[in-house]
Amino acid sequence: MVPPAGPGVFTVKPSGPGTFKLVVSGHTFTSRSDVEKYLAYRAARLTAEQGGEWFTLNEDRGQGETAEPPPARDLEGPRFSFRMKYFRPVWRFKTNASPAWTRWSPFSGAPFFSADPRTITEFEVSAEIVVRKGPMDDADPLAFEAHALSDLLVNQVSPPK
Amino acid sequence: MIKRALTVSCIAVVAASLAQGAAPWVRGYVVAFYDPAFRYGGRADYSRGAEIEPGVDCPHGSTVHFAVPAQVAKTFSLIPWRTPQEIEALANPPADGLDRNVAGVYFHTWRAASAYRGYTPDIETYINPFAAEDPGQPEVTSRIGEGFNLDGKIKPNDFVSPDGEKGIDNQLYRAWGCDAPWRGDNGNGTLVLRSNDKMLEGLYTVVIRVSGNNDPMNDDNATLEIGYSPDQIMKDASGKVGVDYSYRILAGEQYTKLKARVKDGVVETEQSDIHMPQIAWFYNQLRDAFLGQGKIRVVPNSDGTAAGLVGGYRDFRDVYAQNVFTQSGGVQGVREHEDHVALYYALRRHADGMFNAKTGRYDGISSAYRMKLVPAFVVDPDKPMRIPVRESDTGRRKAFDDTAAAMTKAVDTLVPQEVPPGSGELTAVDGVEIGRGGVALPARDRRGYGGNRGADDKAKGASAKQDPR
Repeated sequence: MVPPAGPGVFTVKPSGPGTFKLVVSGHTFTSRSDVEKYLAYRAARLTAEQGGEWFTLNEDRGQGETAEPPPARDLEGPRFSFRMKYFRPVWRFKTNASPAWTRWSPFSGAPFFSADPRTITEFEVSAEIVVRKGPMDDADPLAFEAHALSDLLVNQVSPPK
Repeated sequence: MIKRALTVSCIAVVAASLAQGAAPWVRGYVVAFYDPAFRYGGRADYSRGAEIEPGVDCPHGSTVHFAVPAQVAKTFSLIPWRTPQEIEALANPPADGLDRNVAGVYFHTWRAASAYRGYTPDIETYINPFAAEDPGQPEVTSRIGEGFNLDGKIKPNDFVSPDGEKGIDNQLYRAWGCDAPWRGDNGNGTLVLRSNDKMLEGLYTVVIRVSGNNDPMNDDNATLEIGYSPDQIMKDASGKVGVDYSYRILAGEQYTKLKARVKDGVVETEQSDIHMPQIAWFYNQLRDAFLGQGKIRVVPNSDGTAAGLVGGYRDFRDVYAQNVFTQSGGVQGVREHEDHVALYYALRRHADGMFNAKTGRYDGISSAYRMKLVPAFVVDPDKPMRIPVRESDTGRRKAFDDTAAAMTKAVDTLVPQEVPPGSGELTAVDGVEIGRGGVALPARDRRGYGGNRGADDKAKGASAKQDPR
């Protein structure tokens, strides 16, 4: 069972038809993977709560963030219920030294957090998803089957502080 | 007991019924070939006869799980606690000539590592497949498939039958149709061959009896029975399944009696739950292939044989257990180039029947199985009897049941389960057993069902007790 999140740790806002912006916020975290898995779990649960069966991730690519190319559709390769390696949310954070938000994108090619994580005072991890019904478009690498993803993550995640 | 039936009198009955147009009639068949209705669609003029061509349904061919180091490295890279160095070493075990194991350098390393791919190193994967990432499964992309329209609807993911019927529900084919051991032209996939060999060698027998009181070519009130027979399939002098032998049918847990309609000789049953023997290649797999909302069709051929088709919704956990636990997931996966984690995800992804209101998900997957039927006399036993139990295999049967129960509990509760004592997942093969974390270890005892065990023991000069199979 996933413990409930504290106030303000998880927020979700509609951003279009069937589209939602999910944000996980906190002050300390153990690893990038732990926080991103928690966000993925919440995306899967939200999809199920909305009566959806799967969701797609809208990648948040800023200008020039092209070091990691968008994954191509694969019509004839293996089918997946989800591919965790393509669940790539965007981070922003504040440090002791800089109270302004600094963005980190998995598509920029920059290593994760050049700052010492111990100096992080606040962070946000965000993802925009589109909730979908019916047969999954499993040729889309950015498609995630809600129940399968939730099953994998339910015993692994907890909300950050 | 096999006995030649009273052929002459039965022919007389049939002849009389044809003459009169309305009289009791009976037709019997023994199943001579039994495989999942996976439509191959390969070219008839394919010239590389010994090879299985890609086929139109799986344009990129069949599964290559655990076939080559590069693919294995990709699979093991999904294990979150493995380092890149470990993955490289596991995918490319040293072939320095010092390992004299008859199974080769890859088999034990890969089967051991494949059995522990969960999010922590102590979660056994084949009992807890939900706890590992989906490694991906090639799936059927074509739209033509055999089976029945089980739900009466025409949906986007349904197949069109080779005869043009729309709305065919056979998502097992969609999910598993490109799985290497079940593919091939006219059933030459390795597990199709193996399971049919075992059936013909006497592992189990399935029979069908159709009866009515009108014209055997057109009868609105016919009856079809399908079930287990305790009598071994009889072959003729050429090794083919013999025609017109007699078989008993047991009205027990693997038996169903259905109302049927016969039109122009084609028998089609009502839609109802079906119990019948499932495909097996080991004794511990012999059990009921429950098909919810099932149907059976029998189409006669001009030579007296017939083509059978059985469809219905199967519990995806039964389908999974049937394929993985007769030996162990690692043995089956590396030997047959299957990945049961991928197969598990594919089953769940395409499950489309037996809605579970408690979980809000489907527990059943629409399925169809083909059968080649040879004429036979199907008779009731002299006195009621149950499916025989072979005492020597009760231990392995219990191990199978316990392992399947642990898997079912795991996927239903999402609480990882331990490997039950005696499970095939713990059984040593070629003197190698699997330790926690997917480590290949020397076996602590001589217990094992290993495929190469006899040869291995011989090579070491040990007295090998022969596998009872």
